[in-house]
Amino acid sequence: MRYVLVDRFLEMEAGERARSVKCVTRGEPFLNDLPFYPPALVLEALLQTGGALSRAGSEAGQMSVLGKVSSASFPAHAYPGDRIDIEVTIALSRPEGTLCEGVATVDGREVGRAEFMIVLLPPEMTPPPDPERDAKRRLLARALGLPHAPKENA
Amino acid sequence: MEEQEIISKVRKCVATALGRDEDEVQLDSVLSTDLEAESIDYLDITFQLEREFGISIQKDELFPQKIFQDEALVKDGVVTEQGLAYLKEKLPYADLEKFSADPKVTAVPELFTVQLLVSFVQTKVAA
Repeated sequence: MRYVLVDRFLEMEAGERARSVKCVTRGEPFLNDLPFYPPALVLEALLQTGGALSRAGSEAGQMSVLGKVSSASFPAHAYPGDRIDIEVTIALSRPEGTLCEGVATVDGREVGRAEFMIVLLPPEMTPPPDPERDAKRRLLARALGLPHAPKENA
Repeated sequence: MEEQEIISKVRKCVATALGRDEDEVQLDSVLSTDLEAESIDYLDITFQLEREFGISIQKDELFPQKIFQDEALVKDGVVTEQGLAYLKEKLPYADLEKFSADPKVTAVPELFTVQLLVSFVQTKVAA
């Protein structure tokens, strides 16, 4: 994942729900031309949270990719200094993927809501182990507070 | 559940999954050619049906993928006798008589009509 748009996971109930946070700072390059945090990145934070949640409830080592965004709305903006609270729940789950519902709020004010599908790639489509890549992923997972960080030999 | 209610709900599910107006979704509409469904849409349709009807659909129960992957079921792009038997078992509601006359594997997606989904759901809710 090149752009990590979640700062920390607060809760991860595999197969059920996840809560995460994203703190918006003025120094982010996305805010060079806009006074508010781009709604597309609020959506991306919801998707990244949903992706991690879907992987947590899947077979070990399965990769997740975005299938489609069925609906999305952004009734208000987030601004530098805001903490965006993200909550994603899995509405339906199948071996092939999940149907997720997510909402993003700032101080209780809704700044984003989306329904989306996460596809879980079958093991044969998952890239082979790569020690360097996997080590980076473990570090990232620990930094984010993900309880299901990939194991050393996974 | 009455047949008309099932038809109405299935059309709504398909329309939602494919971003179509319900008027565009007719019983004889083919998901792939008439409604331009892509591979990811079949998963979405499955989710929509599960949610709308409160049913559980097993992997490959509605959209069997094995026909595209198993070499015993397809040879040189043509569905074999074994493949036809597999389709009959998996898709008893599909119009396989017409398909059997020229059973190209590329024509398999055309078996999936809105009517097939309705028949599938009728069986599931009656079970």
